[in-house]
Amino acid sequence: MFSLAIKNILFYKGRSLTTFLLTFVSLYLFIVYVAFMNGSHQSMLQNALNVYTGSFQIYQKEYRSKGGYDYLIRDTRKPLQILADTKGLKAFAPRLETFGIASSKTYSHPIMLTGIDFNREEKLSELKKALTQGEYNTHGACLYMGENLAQKLHLHLGDTLSFVGSAVDYSFVAELFEVCGLFKTGMYEFDSQSAFMNRDYFDTLFFSKNMATYIVAMAENLKHNDAVATKVEKKLPQELQLYRWQTLMKSMVQLMEIDSLFGYISMGLFFIVIFFVIMIYGFININARLREFGVLRSIGVSDNKISLLLLLEILLLTLFAFVFALPLGAYTAYYFQIHPIVIEGMSEMYKSYGVVSDKVPTLFDPLTVFYNSLFLFALNLLSIVYPIYYVRSFTPIEETQHV
Amino acid sequence: MKVLLLFIFLSTAIFASEAEDIIKKVDQNMRGKTLYLKIAMSIQTDYYERNMVLESYSEGSKKNFVKILSPSKDYGITFLSLHGQMWQYIPKIERIIKIPPSMMLQKWMGSDITNDDLVKQSSIVKDYTAKMLEKKGTLATILLTPKADAAVVWGKIITTVDTKTYTSQEEIYFDDDGKKVRSFVYKDVKKYGNYYLPTLWIIQPFDAPKHKTTLQIKEAKYDAPINPAYFSKSALKRFSN
Amino acid sequence: MFKTILHLAYKNAFLRRSRAILLIVMIGVSMAIMITLEGLYDGMTVHMIEKTKRSDSGDISLFAKKYRIEGDIRFHINDADKKVSKLKNLTGVKEALWRIESSGLVQTARKSRPAKLIGIDLQAEEQFGKFSDFLQEGSLDFGKNGIFIGNELAKKLGVHLHSKLIFSMQDSKHQLQSVAFRIKAIIHTTNVSLDPQGLYIAREKLNQLLSLEKNSATQIALMSKHTDDAGLQKRIQQEFPNLNVQSFTELYPQLKETEQIFKKFNQISFFIVMSVIFVGILGVMYVSILDRVREFGILLSIGYSYRYIRLQVLFEAVVLGLLGYILGALLGWAFLEYLKNYGLDFRLFSDGLSMFGLDSTLYATIKTAYFSSTFIAIIVASMLSVILPLRKIKILKPIEVIRSIG
Repeated sequence: MFSLAIKNILFYKGRSLTTFLLTFVSLYLFIVYVAFMNGSHQSMLQNALNVYTGSFQIYQKEYRSKGGYDYLIRDTRKPLQILADTKGLKAFAPRLETFGIASSKTYSHPIMLTGIDFNREEKLSELKKALTQGEYNTHGACLYMGENLAQKLHLHLGDTLSFVGSAVDYSFVAELFEVCGLFKTGMYEFDSQSAFMNRDYFDTLFFSKNMATYIVAMAENLKHNDAVATKVEKKLPQELQLYRWQTLMKSMVQLMEIDSLFGYISMGLFFIVIFFVIMIYGFININARLREFGVLRSIGVSDNKISLLLLLEILLLTLFAFVFALPLGAYTAYYFQIHPIVIEGMSEMYKSYGVVSDKVPTLFDPLTVFYNSLFLFALNLLSIVYPIYYVRSFTPIEETQHV
Repeated sequence: MKVLLLFIFLSTAIFASEAEDIIKKVDQNMRGKTLYLKIAMSIQTDYYERNMVLESYSEGSKKNFVKILSPSKDYGITFLSLHGQMWQYIPKIERIIKIPPSMMLQKWMGSDITNDDLVKQSSIVKDYTAKMLEKKGTLATILLTPKADAAVVWGKIITTVDTKTYTSQEEIYFDDDGKKVRSFVYKDVKKYGNYYLPTLWIIQPFDAPKHKTTLQIKEAKYDAPINPAYFSKSALKRFSN
Repeated sequence: MFKTILHLAYKNAFLRRSRAILLIVMIGVSMAIMITLEGLYDGMTVHMIEKTKRSDSGDISLFAKKYRIEGDIRFHINDADKKVSKLKNLTGVKEALWRIESSGLVQTARKSRPAKLIGIDLQAEEQFGKFSDFLQEGSLDFGKNGIFIGNELAKKLGVHLHSKLIFSMQDSKHQLQSVAFRIKAIIHTTNVSLDPQGLYIAREKLNQLLSLEKNSATQIALMSKHTDDAGLQKRIQQEFPNLNVQSFTELYPQLKETEQIFKKFNQISFFIVMSVIFVGILGVMYVSILDRVREFGILLSIGYSYRYIRLQVLFEAVVLGLLGYILGALLGWAFLEYLKNYGLDFRLFSDGLSMFGLDSTLYATIKTAYFSSTFIAIIVASMLSVILPLRKIKILKPIEVIRSIG
């Protein structure tokens, strides 16, 4: 049976070649396309999370719905210890956000001043990479501020500005700061409202020792974020709540889901066309062999055996195509994961989502490749169903008389 | 029938004007022609209690100057509100800062009073129509509804006024959907010359039960001439010390 | 003669009925899905761009110099009404209007948010961008103190129709102005810069509140008669050298880029699908010709010219392609018509879509180009598909053919 199938495949070269090529091309394309799609999504996400958000954040319950100093994390020591004891985290750091008025000689603007640990942030976010002028890690009454904010206030490096706001006990805070560093992440809102300062001096001004608006953490591997977050979640004191990036970046996640959905729909279109063509070729092939089947049946080969033969043929053809397409596709996906394509023009669009990089790597995920292959495999087998049904509708005599 | 309608009309008109009259008198008591106050303020929030002392000079409803006396860290911080605008001077940084509109609704130093309250505290007579809800002995309960074009955030205010002294005992602020937002309770009415003034004010928001702001009037001087220099921008720095 | 060929071609096309039907269904279904996707993708970008133009930038916007950097109403355009009528008289300009905008703070008893108050003229907006389309709730009538609010902003403030809002802003003399409004309408433009922060009142009123001269504008927007009128921007810049003239692409570079990416994507899809369809037709025609080699041999031997056979085969392929096309066009048109009117509900992803400036229901557009370009492609594919099989016949020697099969 097996050798007969091979013989047939070799004999009907046209059909075999077409089926082989189409299967090869579609599988290869599918693997590479999905790898690019997932890769670009993951890099967009990774970038966005890397810039500032981290892979999860811990808040005092109700902060995210109510806000304000009443819902700060009052003592960060315990949650920080929990994070330190948890494996799989690249970095974590507490941040304290406060809002106030920044003024230069003539201009005033509401700003968000955040007290951070510059050393921890360096491992956690891209704040340092966003530096455009001056210094990143500063001490004392020194601000690291968004370029656009500086522009709005008509400030330059080394200039002085005042900040007026309130400490966490709601008492007055007023301070003169020097502009020590400027940054640009590409996110306009962020760059035009934010300024950062070192936590030590911040705490003496705002009476905020060991407090935080939230603690941000970044998992070593985004894939394991959920597991790590769950581990942390279990140990957290009751008054704290953990939010994963999926919640923090809900709209971005949805945007990617839509994009994937449309990607799969488009791929689906190609598959439908290719499915039809493979089916047509299978059909034509079988049509030409009706006489042969008639002979086979008249010498006592059962219908099922013939169906099996046809199935075996397409199976072999498909497998043969897979043997070539799979490694090649996987290799391509893997190659571009390591050597991402750089799309220059893309950066503008990416920047509007707060992504600095314009590299588009692929994502090589063996499991995805496996599922995709399985799907195509099933589709190919399906393409022979109608032709088999067609053959079975004839009697052996009809078949032998068929021209 | 017509007579009845006329009667109803007249009586509501009378009640309305009576209520408005009461509100005007209450407002007069809270303001005088000029008023100097020394206030001890205590602010309670979920985690802190802060106490401060401040002086306030006001003339009519459009001019107000405030200076913080204690705690010492904040001594000399001054505020000036003139015709709906507000500035602040902070000695530590020696700067005058104009409070932008986007900061006006911020809570004033963590209290449950907003900058907006400070700037527009007087508009109760001008911006609201008053209607008598109930009169029991000397107590009058009055509904204040903002006039259509008045720039106030409240949906309504219900105030209980003691008509013996023309001082308010309680004010409840409602949002536009008719839900309670915060309450002012006034106690310990004292007489200063021709004026009556509650000397203990307690402000509580309804959605944060642990929050409470208490103002205690330590000193009050009515109708004493105030140096007009207090109501200019240069006062912020000049009277800071 | 011609009629006979056509008749024969048609008959031959259906000689193997299942095969022919399979091919037609393949062409039809693939084409239908392809143009549906094309229409949907186009619909997304077209709506995104169109709504942004209608609600904000038009094809070209004019600002006072420095306004876009400083965002201060000190940098405004005077006598905007005169400039608008001047613009309207310029060739190539379809519509023009002016708006005045002020940033400030919107407040309720419980919440406050930074927002922008935009002074508009309802009639002008209607002509310019059919503003009434953006109405989500309420009615478009400012009345005495009515205000319209962007739907996202309304959500954030927790307000509804008839709710009261206070808007505070600094006027041109740096005085604080606070005004009370009642919400008369909730507006949904899908423009990401408007829905989360936009508030609208009559422009005369806003000018008055800002203590500006009548007809002071922060923006003049215009629609051009012909899209991609590159010369227009230059002409306007020459006409108004003191203003900052910006095209839509300059104002919303990401939108233009998105459009281009979608366009590329559609082109690639089209090419791939048509290539595969070509392979399908090729297979069918090849076999169909091989099946009839004897027949053609006989025809050749009794004196029919090769050209006649070629014509017949060509017609056969075209008939199949054409029938597939008709099926595809009908199906595709039905899908598109449905998606154009009822749209595709993506409410599950509404947050993501609104980040992209899209409605949660996606609507398709229908362009004649979908049908004309696929028509050409399918006919060309059909015709090309017979070249290879015909070669086989050309080298036929009639005698051999008849003998070999006999």
